[in-house]
Amino acid sequence: MLWLKNAHVIDPAQGISGIMDVAVQGGRVLKLGQGIAAADPLGGGEADVTDCAGKYLFPGLVDAHVHMREPGQEEKEDIASGSRAAVRGGVTSLICMANTSPVIDNQALVAFVQERGRQAALARIYPMAAVTKGMRGEELTEMAELAASGAKGFSDDGRGIQNGEIMRLALEYAKLTGCPVVSHCEDEFLAGRGVMRRGPASAARGLTGVPAAAESVMAARDVLLAGETGGRLHLAHVSAKGTLAALRAGKAAGWDITAEVNPHHLILTDEDVPLTNSDFKVNPPLPSAEDRDALLAALADGTIDMLASDHAPHTWEEKACPFAEAPFGMAALETALAALWTYLVRPGKLTAERLVDAYARRPAERFALEAGTLKPGAPADMVLFDPDWEETVTVEGMASKSANTPFLGRKLRGYPVKTWVGGRLVFERKA
Amino acid sequence: MSWRRKDLLDIETLTVDEMRLILDTAVSMKEVLTRPVKKLPTLRGKAVTMLFYEPSTRTRVSFETAAKILGADTASLAVAQSSVSKGESLLDTAKTLVAMNADLVVVRHASSGAPHFLAQNLPVGVINAGDGQHAHPTQALLDIYSLREKWGDVAGRKVLIVGDILHSRVARSNAVGLTKLGAEVVLVGPPTLLPPEMAYLGVRSSYDFDREIAGAHAVMALRLQLERQRSGLFPSLREYNRLYGLTRERLAKAAAGCLVLHPGPVNRGVEIMSDVADCPQSVIETQVTNGVAVRMALIYLLMGGGAVEDVVA
Repeated sequence: MLWLKNAHVIDPAQGISGIMDVAVQGGRVLKLGQGIAAADPLGGGEADVTDCAGKYLFPGLVDAHVHMREPGQEEKEDIASGSRAAVRGGVTSLICMANTSPVIDNQALVAFVQERGRQAALARIYPMAAVTKGMRGEELTEMAELAASGAKGFSDDGRGIQNGEIMRLALEYAKLTGCPVVSHCEDEFLAGRGVMRRGPASAARGLTGVPAAAESVMAARDVLLAGETGGRLHLAHVSAKGTLAALRAGKAAGWDITAEVNPHHLILTDEDVPLTNSDFKVNPPLPSAEDRDALLAALADGTIDMLASDHAPHTWEEKACPFAEAPFGMAALETALAALWTYLVRPGKLTAERLVDAYARRPAERFALEAGTLKPGAPADMVLFDPDWEETVTVEGMASKSANTPFLGRKLRGYPVKTWVGGRLVFERKA
Repeated sequence: MSWRRKDLLDIETLTVDEMRLILDTAVSMKEVLTRPVKKLPTLRGKAVTMLFYEPSTRTRVSFETAAKILGADTASLAVAQSSVSKGESLLDTAKTLVAMNADLVVVRHASSGAPHFLAQNLPVGVINAGDGQHAHPTQALLDIYSLREKWGDVAGRKVLIVGDILHSRVARSNAVGLTKLGAEVVLVGPPTLLPPEMAYLGVRSSYDFDREIAGAHAVMALRLQLERQRSGLFPSLREYNRLYGLTRERLAKAAAGCLVLHPGPVNRGVEIMSDVADCPQSVIETQVTNGVAVRMALIYLLMGGGAVEDVVA
């Protein structure tokens, strides 16, 4: 029996945002309400009581876009270290992208990822399977079997599917599974050898630019294909205004489309990219200020459904080189929530309620995970969040094997202080 | 004023006073170049190392000559192409050079920001001898030196930079430097090589060479990388030359005595016609000589400096 008192509970699935007590038993939420009396029959036994005054209680975050790098690139991350990073960031359920080595494109590898997740025994780990064998963009994977084995969606994330016919077939065939096809929108001809968003900032740095259209033209294609097929489409890491136009049009037509945005695309812009710090190198690249503002508005109005970290760890050695030569990607699991709170919620650009809605409830619903809410009977995956906890992001502080985050050295305010998965305390922040 | 910098990485971070100090110091250095015995004892016992990740003969020899005239020892490491995938990392290579007691490292690299990255990580000075599409500060300084030598001052003069602006570190550094010293810079090239984002430089852009050359005091023709045609950036050398080649007819429309510059090596008949490259208004060869003087000035300032009169007396 776990009894959390006087927390500010935010649970958008129930329309709740207010001071409440929460009782947990048997790994599930038993009851929540205002002032649960001590005499309430809570199932008997001694209660472990925590006074949560001044803190928030969220459903554990659900991250639909994480690169755990296992199997094959364990020097960057593995499912055990990534799980520690996840719970440290308040993430209790996550979906692992399929661009590992080998690619997650068969039943055995889907089982492997789930088994590694169970062994790590921290966050709930779900696999994404590839859309095409070997992520070569040529032949579809055995989607029906993959979904039956536990894959929660299909994605060749890391590469765009260049052949429109393959994408159309994927949207059709995935109907057998009910899982979304997750599109990494990137036209490789337009992206070329670009390393940051094309614009005055790339010109000033002499870095080759990726035009925003490299994403938007493929997003528009995929939205139209979702309309034509009636398939289920999810756009990964939306970063450009043009993509939002396609997204709005598709949603207005009633097509089955969702989209995610990464915290760094809402907080940083191309002007923030230092020539000598490749921790700011990410794909899609950091947007213009105008696009960043459009993304934030689209998250607030629901055009963009959810937040996801796109946690993409890389080693120090890989990143300690000139910008153009470093790999794309940012480690983000441990800083996503704190950065969102510091840069968006605190200044009033995003409500705490919408943050929890977008980073817990929506991804759980879209990918059919039992998570994202504190309804009685739901798994007691919870985050106790201290809005005033200050901590500087340091290499030493990272649970992840990698520390390639643009927030390194910055003091963020608002951190998870306790994380529970299935009622079990899996993380506690210490000063 | 006195010199305080450890590195010379780009023109953006230099103050106008620092630019003037370099250019004035180079005047004394150029005098040394006219002597029968071109050798000073100033930097005896110091070591300057060239780290060139891009093929370059002209710039490397210019730096080596400059260092040797000042009395320094030079070592050269030509690394075939960039360090992207295999072998030693840029950082490890540079640390090795420092362990061999290099006092100054001159870097050319295909990746923008590589010299800045080294400067952050090395205790010794770094000179940027050209990084990717980003900056080529010594080229800009020698170009400005060449113009000052003819004009006394560049302020108020109209300078056209013509060609592949998008991919040119020479154009970027010159536009920044000339603007700082009060010149009017106009960028000229086809839309594919002069895209809207170049507006960050805060100077005017134009696709029309014939219109802009009227009243120009200097024209700087950029070397056209011939492989750009294969990437579809322009349709043919023929059409490029027609629209953006510096010909006698075009030069005749410029202000009287308009100077002709080119950073070299020249594609004769592409961005500039032979008769123009060799005409009396051309300072292309003088640029090469001035390059040595300007690099002497920089090496001298970065390695301790002091009153230049004592050195060259």
